[in-house]
Amino acid sequence: MTTTLVDMGSQDRRGGRNSHKDADFSAYMAARQPALYRTAYLLAGDHASAEDLLQNAFAKLYLSWDKIRDHGALDGYVRRVMVNENNSLWRRAWKRREHSTDTMPETGAHDTYDDGMGGALWSYVQTLPPKQRAVIVLRYYEQLSEAEIADVLGISAGTVKSQASRALAGLRARAPQSLNPRESGDAS
Amino acid sequence: MNTPLEDQVHDALHRRVDPIQHAPLTVTDVRHRARRIQRRRAAVAGGAVAAVLAIAIPVGLSATGTNQRSDVPPATQSPSPTPSPSPAPEVTSGTIEVDPESAEVVEQTPVPLLDVDGPTLITPDGTLDLPAAYDTLTPYLDGWAGVARYDEPDKSGAFIEFLGEDLRVDDGGVPTGGLVESPDGARIAWSEYDGTRWRVMVADPAGGTEPVETTFAPTAEEEPVIPVGFVSDDAVAVRAMYNIGDPKTFVASGGQPVEVPGLLQADTASSTLGVVAGITEFRPDATCSGVVDAAAGGGRPAWTTCDHRLGPFSATGTYVVGTLPEAESGSRDITVLDATTGEEVLTFEAALPRRTVGGFWTQMTWVGDEALVVRLASGEDYVMMRLGLDGSVQRIGIESAGVSGLKVAMPS
Repeated sequence: MTTTLVDMGSQDRRGGRNSHKDADFSAYMAARQPALYRTAYLLAGDHASAEDLLQNAFAKLYLSWDKIRDHGALDGYVRRVMVNENNSLWRRAWKRREHSTDTMPETGAHDTYDDGMGGALWSYVQTLPPKQRAVIVLRYYEQLSEAEIADVLGISAGTVKSQASRALAGLRARAPQSLNPRESGDAS
Repeated sequence: MNTPLEDQVHDALHRRVDPIQHAPLTVTDVRHRARRIQRRRAAVAGGAVAAVLAIAIPVGLSATGTNQRSDVPPATQSPSPTPSPSPAPEVTSGTIEVDPESAEVVEQTPVPLLDVDGPTLITPDGTLDLPAAYDTLTPYLDGWAGVARYDEPDKSGAFIEFLGEDLRVDDGGVPTGGLVESPDGARIAWSEYDGTRWRVMVADPAGGTEPVETTFAPTAEEEPVIPVGFVSDDAVAVRAMYNIGDPKTFVASGGQPVEVPGLLQADTASSTLGVVAGITEFRPDATCSGVVDAAAGGGRPAWTTCDHRLGPFSATGTYVVGTLPEAESGSRDITVLDATTGEEVLTFEAALPRRTVGGFWTQMTWVGDEALVVRLASGEDYVMMRLGLDGSVQRIGIESAGVSGLKVAMPS
């Protein structure tokens, strides 16, 4: 999960290095864009914002491409940028301004085999504060450990635990009766 | 092992996005965005260079601060208009008595005011109803940015909030140490706590450029970073309350904050002069204040005073306000000082009825270099006064909705 940054020199002195970089980056984007877009969508809540988040994260990755030696850490880098950007208050204000008039209503994915509970829970997740929501997405969608989430968010594992606990308590409080701990067996 | 609720959350998230197979971005899209980011980073770096250049000019400035600096080429295009030369306003000297009872009454306010009990925003163009009482409020993007203060079981302290054009709160807000505006209104800055650390944002209210963020080391929310004023077009001075009671002064202009030595507590700043002012010394018999260069790094004050606590600088950096250092329920007088020397120019003294507690609030705003708009407490009454440097004293005769009175919406 840890991104290793090394200084490879800021200037490109060898011919063809940029084209290699573009080819490598292009291949990475083609392979990983759909999956990372899904994470962006869960973080941002709508397609326009997800696209904006992902474009920004890819752009920062592109600028840092030569410095990232561990290419196994690329997804982690993109996730970290997306989460931090999405948690930023000014970005939310900026986003409202940019998209306030041209955003189409979200239709989202159709829950083909859902009893309605998935849609309801998704609605509740969307009301969580950005940081709690990021913890929920990284924990239950990306299946990251508390330590990995702590690394992405730049906070302690203890804070991850407390944010997750607060988010689940919030979901439990607002969820319908069928998620009531006594009925769902979720008494913890 | 997951609980049933955790399993349901896992399933809900997967059901929501697993059918999505979007790949809307091309490498060209990404390259375009990357170039925008590079341009922004270059602009921020250029701003820092401009700040350093500005302090390299000899500090023997006369009272025409802006003109003295005008030969320094800006590193980046600034959206702020270049001040056109205008005749210097008439300035008197000595002590002017401020008696709200005998003062001329004007019905218009020269600057936006907040009616605390309304709550409303009163501008020269009209009055707007607010969803809550705000400490400060200023235009931002299509709406407003403001600092609201809460005292509720689950939410207490100051919060930065963004309001839409319709004056409804768009965002629940986050804890803040305050909100300041540059003298020309081209930038605002606020701090926000993200649960781990404080960040300072410098933003263009017109939305022409993206906000620039400065990140501080992780601290508790109870150790706030408080913006005190701009020290250049794009850099803001802040007071970081590390260890509660051991504040440090920093300049925030993107990236990492830069510490400014020389002050025990930063109170105010001037973007024209590139200085920060605040407390320099606590003596048994006095509290002394001084003015230090924001970028020189030496920390040695250009001048100090033990007679005044320093308040806002005028827009061009010509004057700075001095109030009584130990004033508890308002300063009995306001002295206008020469910002480059600390010499007294003139004093406004509140004429309060006998045995009445009161004085000028330190939250005030300049109207150019010509006047101050201040809130004067007299017993349990509050009035707003316009104090001209030409010696004119006017009471702003706008009624407030309740006993809390009016105050300036955006202090200098």
